[in-house]
Amino acid sequence: MNTVTQMALVAAVGSALGLAANAFSPHPAALRQPVLSAAESGGGACAMPASAAPSTSAPPPWRPVRIGVEEAKGLCTACLAGFVDARGPHEFAHGHIQNAVHLPPAGHPDEAAVVAQLRTYPLVVVYDGDYSCAVADDVAGRLRRAGLTDVRVLQGAWPAWVAGQGPSAAGICGACGPEAFGK
Amino acid sequence: MSLLARAARFLLGALFLWASVTKVPDMAAFAESVANYRIVPPSLVPVVAAALVGMEIASGVALVLNVWARAAALLLATLLAVFTVGLASALARGIDLACGCFGGNDAATWWTVLRDLVLLVWALGVAASSRPDPARAP
Repeated sequence: MNTVTQMALVAAVGSALGLAANAFSPHPAALRQPVLSAAESGGGACAMPASAAPSTSAPPPWRPVRIGVEEAKGLCTACLAGFVDARGPHEFAHGHIQNAVHLPPAGHPDEAAVVAQLRTYPLVVVYDGDYSCAVADDVAGRLRRAGLTDVRVLQGAWPAWVAGQGPSAAGICGACGPEAFGK
Repeated sequence: MSLLARAARFLLGALFLWASVTKVPDMAAFAESVANYRIVPPSLVPVVAAALVGMEIASGVALVLNVWARAAALLLATLLAVFTVGLASALARGIDLACGCFGGNDAATWWTVLRDLVLLVWALGVAASSRPDPARAP
Protein backbone atom coordinates (compact mmCIF):
# COMPACT_ATOMS: atom_id res chain seq x y z
CA MET A 1 0.00 0.00 0.00
CA ASN A 2 1.54 3.32 -0.97
CA THR A 3 1.91 6.34 1.28
CA VAL A 4 -0.87 8.34 -0.35
CA THR A 5 -3.36 5.53 0.20
CA GLN A 6 -2.22 5.24 3.79
CA MET A 7 -2.68 8.99 4.24
CA ALA A 8 -6.19 8.77 2.84
CA LEU A 9 -6.99 5.89 5.17
CA VAL A 10 -5.60 7.71 8.22
CA ALA A 11 -7.63 10.78 7.22
CA ALA A 12 -10.79 8.73 6.72
CA VAL A 13 -10.43 6.79 9.96
CA GLY A 14 -9.50 10.00 11.76
CA SER A 15 -12.54 11.82 10.40
CA ALA A 16 -14.82 9.02 11.60
CA LEU A 17 -13.03 9.07 14.93
CA GLY A 18 -13.50 12.82 15.18
CA LEU A 19 -17.21 12.57 14.49
CA ALA A 20 -17.47 9.87 17.15
CA ALA A 21 -15.49 12.02 19.60
CA ASN A 22 -17.82 14.90 18.85
CA ALA A 23 -20.80 12.73 19.70
CA PHE A 24 -19.32 11.96 23.11
CA SER A 25 -18.04 15.49 23.80
CA PRO A 26 -19.70 17.34 26.70
CA HIS A 27 -19.96 20.35 24.39
CA PRO A 28 -20.29 18.92 20.89
CA ALA A 29 -20.36 20.94 17.72
CA ALA A 30 -23.87 20.86 16.24
CA LEU A 31 -23.13 19.12 12.96
CA ARG A 32 -26.29 20.26 11.20
CA GLN A 33 -26.03 23.89 12.23
CA PRO A 34 -23.81 26.29 10.29
CA VAL A 35 -21.19 28.00 12.45
CA LEU A 36 -20.53 31.59 11.50
CA SER A 37 -17.36 33.43 12.41
CA ALA A 38 -17.58 35.95 15.23
CA ALA A 39 -17.37 38.76 12.71
CA GLU A 40 -20.14 37.35 10.53
CA SER A 41 -22.45 36.59 13.41
CA GLY A 42 -21.66 39.74 15.34
CA GLY A 43 -21.33 37.58 18.38
CA GLY A 44 -19.66 34.21 18.51
CA ALA A 45 -17.73 33.76 21.69
CA CYS A 46 -18.29 37.44 22.35
CA ALA A 47 -21.98 36.93 22.94
CA MET A 48 -23.24 36.62 26.47
CA PRO A 49 -23.86 33.00 27.36
CA ALA A 50 -27.51 32.14 27.81
CA SER A 51 -26.79 30.44 31.10
CA ALA A 52 -24.97 33.39 32.61
CA ALA A 53 -27.17 33.50 35.69
CA PRO A 54 -25.29 32.36 38.78
CA SER A 55 -26.61 29.43 40.75
CA THR A 56 -26.05 31.01 44.14
CA SER A 57 -28.30 33.54 45.84
CA ALA A 58 -25.54 36.17 45.82
CA PRO A 59 -26.23 39.19 43.62
CA PRO A 60 -24.86 38.63 40.15
CA PRO A 61 -21.67 40.51 39.30
CA TRP A 62 -22.01 43.27 36.79
CA ARG A 63 -21.28 42.10 33.30
CA PRO A 64 -21.00 44.35 30.30
CA VAL A 65 -23.99 44.35 28.00
CA ARG A 66 -23.20 43.54 24.39
CA ILE A 67 -24.11 45.79 21.52
CA GLY A 68 -24.32 44.69 17.90
CA VAL A 69 -22.37 46.31 15.11
CA GLU A 70 -25.41 47.66 13.30
CA GLU A 71 -26.74 49.39 16.41
CA ALA A 72 -23.29 50.73 17.24
CA LYS A 73 -22.88 52.06 13.71
CA GLY A 74 -26.13 53.97 14.05
CA LEU A 75 -25.01 55.47 17.35
CA CYS A 76 -21.67 56.41 15.86
CA THR A 77 -23.11 58.20 12.85
CA ALA A 78 -25.66 59.93 15.11
CA CYS A 79 -22.89 60.91 17.55
CA LEU A 80 -24.80 59.31 20.39
CA ALA A 81 -22.05 57.11 21.77
CA GLY A 82 -18.42 57.39 22.75
CA PHE A 83 -16.16 54.63 21.55
CA VAL A 84 -13.24 53.21 23.47
CA ASP A 85 -10.53 51.18 21.77
CA ALA A 86 -8.99 48.73 24.24
CA ARG A 87 -6.46 47.23 21.84
CA GLY A 88 -2.74 47.80 21.75
CA PRO A 89 -1.20 51.04 20.49
CA HIS A 90 -0.03 49.56 17.20
CA GLU A 91 -3.44 48.14 16.41
CA PHE A 92 -5.04 51.43 17.35
CA ALA A 93 -2.64 53.35 15.12
CA HIS A 94 -3.35 50.99 12.24
CA GLY A 95 -7.05 51.70 12.30
CA HIS A 96 -9.87 52.31 14.75
CA ILE A 97 -13.45 53.42 14.98
CA GLN A 98 -13.65 57.08 14.07
CA ASN A 99 -12.97 59.28 17.10
CA ALA A 100 -12.53 56.31 19.39
CA VAL A 101 -10.49 57.01 22.52
CA HIS A 102 -7.55 54.72 23.09
CA LEU A 103 -7.82 53.21 26.54
CA PRO A 104 -5.71 50.06 26.89
CA PRO A 105 -6.07 47.76 29.91
CA ALA A 106 -2.84 49.14 31.39
CA GLY A 107 -4.48 52.53 31.68
CA HIS A 108 -4.22 55.97 30.10
CA PRO A 109 -1.74 58.66 31.18
CA ASP A 110 -4.63 61.03 31.66
CA GLU A 111 -7.38 58.62 32.48
CA ALA A 112 -9.45 61.14 34.46
CA ALA A 113 -9.66 63.40 31.42
CA VAL A 114 -10.62 60.48 29.20
CA VAL A 115 -13.36 59.40 31.59
CA ALA A 116 -14.60 62.98 31.81
CA GLN A 117 -14.72 63.13 28.04
CA LEU A 118 -16.66 59.88 27.89
CA ARG A 119 -19.16 61.18 30.44
CA THR A 120 -20.46 63.58 27.79
CA TYR A 121 -21.98 60.62 25.99
CA PRO A 122 -25.13 58.86 27.14
CA LEU A 123 -23.57 55.54 26.16
CA VAL A 124 -20.03 54.24 25.81
CA VAL A 125 -19.05 51.33 23.58
CA VAL A 126 -15.82 49.47 24.29
CA TYR A 127 -14.18 47.15 21.81
CA ASP A 128 -10.98 45.18 21.45
CA GLY A 129 -9.47 42.98 18.78
CA ASP A 130 -10.13 39.62 20.34
CA TYR A 131 -13.35 37.91 19.48
CA SER A 132 -13.65 36.73 23.09
CA CYS A 133 -13.89 40.40 24.15
CA ALA A 134 -11.99 39.67 27.36
CA VAL A 135 -9.92 42.85 27.23
CA ALA A 136 -12.92 45.01 26.36
CA ASP A 137 -14.80 43.45 29.27
CA ASP A 138 -11.98 44.48 31.61
CA VAL A 139 -11.89 48.04 30.36
CA ALA A 140 -15.68 48.27 30.41
CA GLY A 141 -15.66 47.13 34.03
CA ARG A 142 -13.09 49.81 34.83
CA LEU A 143 -15.21 52.51 33.22
CA ARG A 144 -18.23 51.23 35.06
CA ARG A 145 -16.37 51.50 38.36
CA ALA A 146 -15.33 55.02 37.37
CA GLY A 147 -19.00 55.94 37.39
CA LEU A 148 -20.10 55.58 33.76
CA THR A 149 -23.55 54.06 33.84
CA ASP A 150 -24.15 52.73 30.35
CA VAL A 151 -21.08 50.89 29.13
CA ARG A 152 -21.43 48.20 26.48
CA VAL A 153 -19.05 45.92 24.65
CA LEU A 154 -19.08 45.57 20.89
CA GLN A 155 -20.09 42.10 19.76
CA GLY A 156 -17.50 40.52 17.52
CA ALA A 157 -14.95 43.20 18.41
CA TRP A 158 -12.93 45.10 15.79
CA PRO A 159 -13.15 42.33 13.14
CA ALA A 160 -16.95 42.59 13.25
CA TRP A 161 -16.75 46.36 12.85
CA VAL A 162 -14.48 46.01 9.83
CA ALA A 163 -16.65 43.28 8.35
CA GLY A 164 -19.71 45.42 8.94
CA GLN A 165 -18.01 48.36 7.21
CA GLY A 166 -18.46 50.58 10.22
CA PRO A 167 -17.01 54.09 10.17
CA SER A 168 -13.31 53.81 10.87
CA ALA A 169 -10.51 56.33 11.07
CA ALA A 170 -10.84 56.68 7.31
CA GLY A 171 -14.61 56.36 7.42
CA ILE A 172 -17.54 58.72 7.36
CA CYS A 173 -17.98 59.57 11.02
CA GLY A 174 -15.79 62.67 11.01
CA ALA A 175 -18.35 64.85 12.77
CA CYS A 176 -18.61 62.44 15.64
CA GLY A 177 -16.83 63.65 18.76
CA PRO A 178 -17.39 64.83 22.27
CA GLU A 179 -17.54 68.44 21.21
CA ALA A 180 -20.22 67.61 18.67
CA PHE A 181 -22.39 66.01 21.30
CA GLY A 182 -21.70 68.67 23.89
CA LYS A 183 -23.03 71.47 21.73
CA MET B 1 15.99 4.80 12.28
CA SER B 2 18.19 6.65 14.72
CA LEU B 3 17.26 7.26 18.31
CA LEU B 4 16.80 10.94 17.54
CA ALA B 5 14.43 10.19 14.68
CA ARG B 6 12.45 7.79 16.83
CA ALA B 7 12.21 10.37 19.60
CA ALA B 8 11.12 13.04 17.12
CA ARG B 9 8.41 10.74 15.76
CA PHE B 10 7.16 9.76 19.19
CA LEU B 11 7.15 13.33 20.52
CA LEU B 12 5.37 14.67 17.45
CA GLY B 13 2.71 12.00 17.83
CA ALA B 14 2.35 12.63 21.55
CA LEU B 15 2.14 16.38 20.96
CA PHE B 16 -0.68 16.08 18.45
CA LEU B 17 -2.43 13.45 20.50
CA TRP B 18 -2.41 15.86 23.43
CA ALA B 19 -3.42 18.81 21.24
CA SER B 20 -6.38 16.91 19.85
CA VAL B 21 -7.53 15.40 23.14
CA THR B 22 -7.66 18.87 24.74
CA LYS B 23 -10.15 19.92 22.07
CA VAL B 24 -12.60 17.07 22.61
CA PRO B 25 -14.20 18.45 25.82
CA ASP B 26 -15.39 21.54 23.94
CA MET B 27 -15.78 20.72 20.28
CA ALA B 28 -18.26 23.58 19.86
CA ALA B 29 -15.57 26.09 20.84
CA PHE B 30 -13.13 24.52 18.42
CA ALA B 31 -15.74 24.76 15.67
CA GLU B 32 -16.02 28.48 16.41
CA SER B 33 -12.25 28.78 16.14
CA VAL B 34 -12.36 27.05 12.75
CA ALA B 35 -15.19 29.36 11.66
CA ASN B 36 -13.17 32.42 12.61
CA TYR B 37 -10.54 31.54 10.02
CA ARG B 38 -13.28 32.21 7.46
CA ILE B 39 -11.95 29.61 5.07
CA VAL B 40 -14.51 26.84 5.47
CA PRO B 41 -18.17 27.42 4.49
CA PRO B 42 -20.25 27.84 7.69
CA SER B 43 -22.37 24.78 6.95
CA LEU B 44 -19.27 22.58 6.79
CA VAL B 45 -17.49 24.05 9.81
CA PRO B 46 -18.78 21.58 12.46
CA VAL B 47 -17.97 18.52 10.35
CA VAL B 48 -14.57 19.86 9.33
CA ALA B 49 -13.75 20.74 12.94
CA ALA B 50 -14.67 17.26 14.15
CA ALA B 51 -12.75 15.66 11.29
CA LEU B 52 -9.66 17.76 12.01
CA VAL B 53 -9.62 16.67 15.64
CA GLY B 54 -10.07 13.06 14.59
CA MET B 55 -7.28 13.25 12.03
CA GLU B 56 -4.98 14.68 14.67
CA ILE B 57 -5.89 11.84 17.01
CA ALA B 58 -5.40 9.17 14.34
CA SER B 59 -2.11 10.66 13.17
CA GLY B 60 -0.89 11.03 16.74
CA VAL B 61 -1.68 7.41 17.55
CA ALA B 62 -0.06 6.23 14.33
CA LEU B 63 3.13 8.15 15.08
CA VAL B 64 3.33 7.02 18.69
CA LEU B 65 2.78 3.39 17.68
CA ASN B 66 4.96 3.73 14.56
CA VAL B 67 2.22 2.40 12.32
CA TRP B 68 2.10 4.10 8.92
CA ALA B 69 4.22 6.80 10.53
CA ARG B 70 5.29 8.31 7.23
CA ALA B 71 1.69 8.71 6.08
CA ALA B 72 0.65 10.10 9.45
CA ALA B 73 3.50 12.61 9.46
CA LEU B 74 2.67 13.70 5.92
CA LEU B 75 -0.99 14.06 6.85
CA LEU B 76 -0.02 16.23 9.82
CA ALA B 77 2.30 18.24 7.58
CA THR B 78 -0.58 18.80 5.18
CA LEU B 79 -2.84 19.93 8.02
CA LEU B 80 -0.13 22.19 9.40
CA ALA B 81 0.41 23.73 5.99
CA VAL B 82 -3.32 24.48 5.76
CA PHE B 83 -3.38 25.86 9.31
CA THR B 84 -0.34 28.03 8.65
CA VAL B 85 -1.66 29.46 5.40
CA GLY B 86 -5.08 30.04 6.95
CA LEU B 87 -3.61 31.70 10.01
CA ALA B 88 -1.23 33.88 8.03
CA SER B 89 -4.03 34.81 5.67
CA ALA B 90 -6.30 35.78 8.58
CA LEU B 91 -3.60 37.83 10.27
CA ALA B 92 -2.70 39.53 7.02
CA ARG B 93 -6.37 40.45 6.59
CA GLY B 94 -6.40 41.98 10.05
CA ILE B 95 -8.64 39.29 11.49
CA ASP B 96 -7.87 38.78 15.15
CA LEU B 97 -8.76 35.26 16.07
CA ALA B 98 -8.08 32.60 18.61
CA CYS B 99 -5.74 29.96 17.27
CA GLY B 100 -7.88 27.10 18.51
CA CYS B 101 -4.68 25.19 19.14
CA PHE B 102 -4.30 22.91 22.13
CA GLY B 103 -7.88 23.58 23.23
CA GLY B 104 -7.03 27.10 24.34
CA ASN B 105 -8.51 30.45 23.48
CA ASP B 106 -5.30 32.41 23.11
CA ALA B 107 -5.19 35.02 20.39
CA ALA B 108 -3.21 33.97 17.35
CA THR B 109 -0.16 36.03 16.44
CA TRP B 110 2.68 35.79 13.98
CA TRP B 111 4.49 33.80 16.66
CA THR B 112 1.74 31.21 16.26
CA VAL B 113 2.49 31.12 12.54
CA LEU B 114 6.17 30.64 13.31
CA ARG B 115 5.38 27.83 15.73
CA ASP B 116 3.24 26.13 13.08
CA LEU B 117 6.09 26.43 10.61
CA VAL B 118 8.45 24.79 13.09
CA LEU B 119 5.94 21.97 13.58
CA LEU B 120 5.57 21.67 9.81
CA VAL B 121 9.31 21.25 9.37
CA TRP B 122 9.31 18.78 12.24
CA ALA B 123 6.54 16.71 10.63
CA LEU B 124 8.31 16.73 7.26
CA GLY B 125 11.51 15.63 8.98
CA VAL B 126 9.69 12.74 10.62
CA ALA B 127 8.13 11.79 7.29
CA ALA B 128 11.52 11.83 5.59
CA SER B 129 13.09 9.67 8.27
CA SER B 130 10.27 7.12 8.31
CA ARG B 131 10.17 4.15 6.00
CA PRO B 132 7.50 4.41 3.29
CA ASP B 133 5.92 1.07 4.08
CA PRO B 134 7.39 -1.75 6.20
CA ALA B 135 5.86 -4.34 3.90
CA ARG B 136 7.80 -2.96 0.92
CA ALA B 137 11.05 -2.46 2.72
CA PRO B 138 13.88 -4.73 1.62
